[in-house]
Amino acid sequence: MDVDTRNMTPTNLVDKIVVPGDVVLDLTKMENQTIKLGSGLRQDCDCVSVMQAGKLRLSKPNKYWVESSQKRYVPSLEDTVLGIVVEHRSDNFLVDIKAPNLAFLPVLAFEGGTRRNIPKFETGTLIYARVVKANGIMNPELSCTDASGKAAEFGQLKNGYMFETSTGLARMLLSSPTCPVLEALGKKISFETAVGLNGRVWVNASSPDDVILVSNAITRSEFLSGTQQRIMAEKLLERLEKS
Amino acid sequence: MVGMVIEIESMGEEGDDVVTPGEFLGEATEFIAGKGAYVSPNGRSVRACLTGRRKITAPPPGSDDNRSTIEIVGHKAHGAVPQPGSIVIARVTKVMARNASADIMCVDSKAVKEKFSGIIRQQDVRATEIDKVDMYQSFRPGDIVRALVLSLGDARAYYLSTAKNELGVVSAQSISGGTMVPISWTEMQCPLTGQIEQRKVAKVD
Repeated sequence: MDVDTRNMTPTNLVDKIVVPGDVVLDLTKMENQTIKLGSGLRQDCDCVSVMQAGKLRLSKPNKYWVESSQKRYVPSLEDTVLGIVVEHRSDNFLVDIKAPNLAFLPVLAFEGGTRRNIPKFETGTLIYARVVKANGIMNPELSCTDASGKAAEFGQLKNGYMFETSTGLARMLLSSPTCPVLEALGKKISFETAVGLNGRVWVNASSPDDVILVSNAITRSEFLSGTQQRIMAEKLLERLEKS
Repeated sequence: MVGMVIEIESMGEEGDDVVTPGEFLGEATEFIAGKGAYVSPNGRSVRACLTGRRKITAPPPGSDDNRSTIEIVGHKAHGAVPQPGSIVIARVTKVMARNASADIMCVDSKAVKEKFSGIIRQQDVRATEIDKVDMYQSFRPGDIVRALVLSLGDARAYYLSTAKNELGVVSAQSISGGTMVPISWTEMQCPLTGQIEQRKVAKVD
């Protein structure tokens, strides 16, 4: 039986659960290759080992990372997050994004932001923002504009209801094609959501019943498969119609 | 306003007694004020400005001035103190958006006895393009840097500068834990993994 060596990956742990300490790649056996290591992996002299428990993923041709889910958030560049304003300093807002440090949101980082029209965010305001600077050492920095300077849905989120989830559920809600639970709910209820990769979800709908139903459905869908999510959502919607 | 209490001290004693700042040591006509002593404002008496023991050294032979020198020798030795213009070795403790804090460890190759704090501001990291400096690509916490003391700074910290070729990071550890080797004035390489990290590197001869 001939083994097709072109498709053999250097490791047989892709898409499997790995724990810290597992050796994923032996670099002495792979010469003249460029490998990109994402989060959760580190290079230990001649081998690549796992730092964080989760599922090992490979994006062909050469990008490896570990997908894990926690309640804490580690800021990374270009993530969209939901933050809560904690304090207003002279040149930036201090925002809590469930990270080890508070994040800075410059007062000018808004579309058309000048010293004259600084937004007045009180303590407790919910903000949808984008991470523009994140290294492990300094406080992360946010921005309420996209790369071209436009507002693009960033900014304060008014009304609605915000609840916390794990980072894994937040990623699942943002996956494409649309997450099954959101699709099933969207068929019967009109609502809007903002999902922060730091494990915060904001839901807004016309009536409080709808908001509660959507929030509960999302929270319950974390460990269900696609079909199970659809069934669960439909059961909840039936209850709403009966009452 | 200051009480001019002139105490009659016996001259020429190699003191076993401790003198305190302000204490009268001798007449300015008979003694030169050495280290730890000063000539009082009226120019007539030599007083102590440190706490310690008095030490009188005979005048060097063949000099015109035949006054002895009075010094104060501390009963604990004083370590080095950073002065503007001295080169210091410091360890970076915190890196922020516009400055980095460092603990000064040696002044002009003498170790300090007590901790001094220093700050390297963004505009003092290098001499060129000072508004485009990224502090994270210049220093990391734990780096050992050679810096120049610009000024005494504010109450919290001295102001330091690394804006010369021979100033900057002299020793740093990589993320993997190996001591890195400088390869240019902006990059250092880890010998264990080969990863390159950015620093403001000092040109060491």
